[in-house]
Amino acid sequence: MLLNLTDLSSESLQSQIVRQVREKILSGELAAETSLPSIRELARDQHVSVITVQRAYEALLREGLIHSRRGKGFFVSDLKDNEKIGMAKERLRENIAPLVISASNEGLSKKDILETIDLILKKNGRKN
Amino acid sequence: MTKAFEFNSVVKSYSEFTLGPLNFSLEPGTVLGYIGPNGSGKSTTMHCLVGLIKTDGGEMRVFGRTTDPNRPEWKLDIGYVGDEHVFYEGWSGERNLKFLSQFYPNWSDQRVIELAKRFNLPLNKKAKELSGGNRVKLSLVAALAHSPKLLLLDEPTSGLDPVVRAEVLDVLFEVLEDGERAIFYSTHILSDISRLADELAFLDNGQIKLRAAKEDLIEHWRKIAFMHAGNNFKLEATASHKQEGADHQVVSFDHEATLRQLGELGAQNVQAYRMSIDEIAVQILKGVGHVENS
Repeated sequence: MLLNLTDLSSESLQSQIVRQVREKILSGELAAETSLPSIRELARDQHVSVITVQRAYEALLREGLIHSRRGKGFFVSDLKDNEKIGMAKERLRENIAPLVISASNEGLSKKDILETIDLILKKNGRKN
Repeated sequence: MTKAFEFNSVVKSYSEFTLGPLNFSLEPGTVLGYIGPNGSGKSTTMHCLVGLIKTDGGEMRVFGRTTDPNRPEWKLDIGYVGDEHVFYEGWSGERNLKFLSQFYPNWSDQRVIELAKRFNLPLNKKAKELSGGNRVKLSLVAALAHSPKLLLLDEPTSGLDPVVRAEVLDVLFEVLEDGERAIFYSTHILSDISRLADELAFLDNGQIKLRAAKEDLIEHWRKIAFMHAGNNFKLEATASHKQEGADHQVVSFDHEATLRQLGELGAQNVQAYRMSIDEIAVQILKGVGHVENS
């Protein structure tokens, strides 16, 4: 599992791991029942401490994105598409809320904001 | 579970300086960073644990065995890179290692060859002809060649170039993977250890001021900026407080408590910023009126 972790982000290493694994799961890059690297393997590969990975996996367990089987390790949960969409939407809402509020404070209308989102999607080649 | 090491009320006194009483331990599979300024007692702590100096009180154990000088089996579990690198100066690195190998049943010559290659260490040169960096590397090879269960590393990367430093950290991450080995790593430079360590203990003038899980420190500490017209109010859980007019800047070691209080006080424009582990360490060592031991 390839992750891109950096010390230069305002986001902690733990949250970077959570966010990147979550993305891989919600996008389907990691399919249901795929086994994740063990905590110690990932710590070694990514050069982070065991406790950092452990806390990141705990957060993913709480979100229901992964599950553990005794003695076997961690696996991607089998999520229905609508569950995945629901989680991704919730995540988007959390991330976008401060930006939308500050854009609105800076005088943008709902139409302006929606147009901007549309533009971003087009630029990245996403149609719908 | 048996601790990798335990200090129970260990004291070492000098005329001008006392270390301890130290009470702390380390679980197998974990890395404890031992952080403190020069002269705070980091090396002395290590010297006590490896039996280089006699303590004035207390007891230490390594994987359950007391550090009895008459029954030195506990030393077999330790790999130690000290603040001084002691070799037979007229001998080659290889001969020094060969000499050490006789004391360790688990010694692996293959591991020596592998590590020397990875660290780019010439084994045929005499110890006295080795550069400072190469002496550190030779110590590291000697400490790792018997695959010890406890690594005691006293500023192990000082004097190493960045490439070798990275290689040393690679080796340490590999060593940890089986979950049975523990690393006690002292440094005054946090960047080396900030990713490796599970826990940090902060030593100041012979006393451990704080010990905490690294992730808890990262979770709880914040720099908080806010506006408030009031003067002289005391905020909870803060390590420092600066004010210019109505602008305030505080460092909080429990941002939830501080933010709650700021809400009650009606502070405006409250912004909380994460802190790097280096920034947190500086705040802790500058002196916080707050001590928690785990």
